[in-house]
Amino acid sequence: MANYNIDAAKETTYDAIVIGSGISGGWAAKELCEKGLKTLVLERGRIVEHVVDYPTMNLDPWDTELRGNLTPEQKEKHYKAIRSGWIGTDTEHFWADDKASPYTEKKPFLWLRAHQMGGRSLLWGKQTYRWSDLDFEANAEDGHGVDWPIRYKDIESWYTYVEKYAGISGEALGLPQLPDSHFLPPMEMNCVEKHVKSRIEKAFEGRNVTIGRCAHLTVPHNGRGQCQNRNRCSRGCPFGAYFSSNAVTLPAAHATGNLTIRPFSIVQSVIYDDTRAKATGVRIIDAETNEAIEYSAKVIFCNASTLSTTQILLNSTSNRFENGLGNDSGELGHNLMDHTYRVGAMGTVDGFDDKYYKGRRPNGIYIPRYRNINAATKTDKFVRGFGYQGGAGRGGNPANTEAFGADFKESILKPGPWEFFITGFAECLPYHENQVSLNSEVTDKWGQPTLTIDAEFKENEKAINKQIQEDAVEMLEKAGVKNVLGFDNDHSPGWGVHEMGTARMGRDPKTSVLNSFNQVHAAKNVFVTDGACMTSSSCVNPSLTYMAITARAADYAVSELKKGNI
Amino acid sequence: MFGATIAVPSIVSLLQSCKDEDRRVWEPELFTEKEAKTVSALVDTILPRTETPGALDVNADIFIDRIVARTYDTEAQKYLQDEIAQFNAGAETIYGEPFFDLDETRRAEILKVAEKKSGKFSPGIWGTSVGEQEPIGFYRSFKSMAIWAYLTSEEIGKNVLAYDPIPGNYDGCVPVSENTMRSSL
Repeated sequence: MANYNIDAAKETTYDAIVIGSGISGGWAAKELCEKGLKTLVLERGRIVEHVVDYPTMNLDPWDTELRGNLTPEQKEKHYKAIRSGWIGTDTEHFWADDKASPYTEKKPFLWLRAHQMGGRSLLWGKQTYRWSDLDFEANAEDGHGVDWPIRYKDIESWYTYVEKYAGISGEALGLPQLPDSHFLPPMEMNCVEKHVKSRIEKAFEGRNVTIGRCAHLTVPHNGRGQCQNRNRCSRGCPFGAYFSSNAVTLPAAHATGNLTIRPFSIVQSVIYDDTRAKATGVRIIDAETNEAIEYSAKVIFCNASTLSTTQILLNSTSNRFENGLGNDSGELGHNLMDHTYRVGAMGTVDGFDDKYYKGRRPNGIYIPRYRNINAATKTDKFVRGFGYQGGAGRGGNPANTEAFGADFKESILKPGPWEFFITGFAECLPYHENQVSLNSEVTDKWGQPTLTIDAEFKENEKAINKQIQEDAVEMLEKAGVKNVLGFDNDHSPGWGVHEMGTARMGRDPKTSVLNSFNQVHAAKNVFVTDGACMTSSSCVNPSLTYMAITARAADYAVSELKKGNI
Repeated sequence: MFGATIAVPSIVSLLQSCKDEDRRVWEPELFTEKEAKTVSALVDTILPRTETPGALDVNADIFIDRIVARTYDTEAQKYLQDEIAQFNAGAETIYGEPFFDLDETRRAEILKVAEKKSGKFSPGIWGTSVGEQEPIGFYRSFKSMAIWAYLTSEEIGKNVLAYDPIPGNYDGCVPVSENTMRSSL
């Protein structure tokens, strides 16, 4: 599948342009190409070919001189992203250069970026959950934000469509608040997780502990291999066992013969033609040569990732759109959301010292939302809800043991104590004042304005976090977990890496940027189908919804194109 | 920089077949001779050779020097070097000799006190620690680094711990026997 059609980018006219090649951009490319559109994917970083460009995928710790530790120069390059704690030499090459592409935080906000083909689809957590009408109706129900222009029935078949192709493993539970996906067999819980599950489910009516639903193959699927339980996913998987654009959608798009990917293409703006009242193409800056080039197309999909898409739209000014393309409502850049997380509880589990596990399962357990799902579970402390992710393993920190010497050394060669933890993921409300704006004072390596991010969690999120911690401690104690420690790492948005909103969908052009098919209200041939389109945030991971929304919008775009409507 | 030849027998294999061989010449990238000797003595006292290799057998001290030299900024290097000096000064105050010149019993006495005095690491989840982190102090952080250097060495990771780079299936419940070792990866 090598040789992406890079040279063909000398051609400047296409049927469709897709900005970005991450999770949603990859899906847009696949769908548009398969429906016969000559499609140009503009990627701001380099080409990352599946397997070929995964240099660290098989390295053991001792294979590199610093065993994963970053040099001061590498730390400086990733001085913002390094706060996440996730960057080591095994993945350093997949994280964006914070010096070349700076951003300004009015309040603390961690913006994790991956500037290469595949984007964050190489690095994501792979947790995949369907949204329900509890989510799509939430804004209308409690009056925060604007109503979603779609409901579960509008997207249900598209969930199935993308799940069948991507391969989602999990356990069907039949819960109304967390609809089942089209599942491959679930991954297995370990013995302590099974034990805690049975205790929690017995003690708390209406709560479920299930294995994480995830985009890891548990059986061979569509020519890709099943998960080998190496847990080295973020380096790129040689088996193609997890969903990434590189392993799944872009090869499929490429196979049609309709795909052109142009790397090192930083989209500066979308070109809007006032007289024809539509977008005609995009302007790019070649990241290597600084050359400015224009590409034209009939339809444009914006999939640069939530904040980057909005940055491009804000920077796309014209006589018609002085404040950014599609910004008649003034909502472009606003209503930024993320999930709260790193609030929960952990402890140790006795009685299983004679049990261990084999393999490093890249997945944990999940506790679906159980509060505010119906009249019986309604609380007046907060609106919306939360779920938990977590798991059990044998670890511990031997450095904390008050011992040294021969016996101590032998002890650290053995499996450590069993530990169990859960951490909540809470829905964040769409607040108009949580926003991004263009900053011309701080420019990037290419002289372009950057983003200023001004967002924070507020009272509702804090009230949910309080409940998350209380419930987590209570559940672990009831489950017999020892040394239970509740935690609430006072944190700020961005750490959940689920940025959503800033170009929301809605029913009314006066209060939203996109319509029910993700078209910019006033520029119908521009579609936004990454996280920017989200009208609310649910409490479940959003990527599966981006996939479904993108496939649905691409289908609609092609049908509108054929009808001559765009 | 200096060249110090420290004669230490080589790695003990799982089969207990020892062969005598001089440790290679170690020219520290950062540490002074005194610092290097202290680091070597510390890792050896925390993780001595038994039937399995000790920290010196897997060059944990040499690795720590490399890590501090190449991944710490100048300020952090200086801080650690000061801490090592203070640690030695403590030993000299009590016994009149630097830590590395003390016998096994006296080294153990020093470390027993250090264990009591040092803070504990907060637990961590997904790359970040949770809760309030109390001050750790030199000994506990150094011990943590020594353990890490030891467990991630090729000899321990491949030949002593359970090394399984491609597990294939996941089995969530397997019995533990006397020979069950910690998973190395």
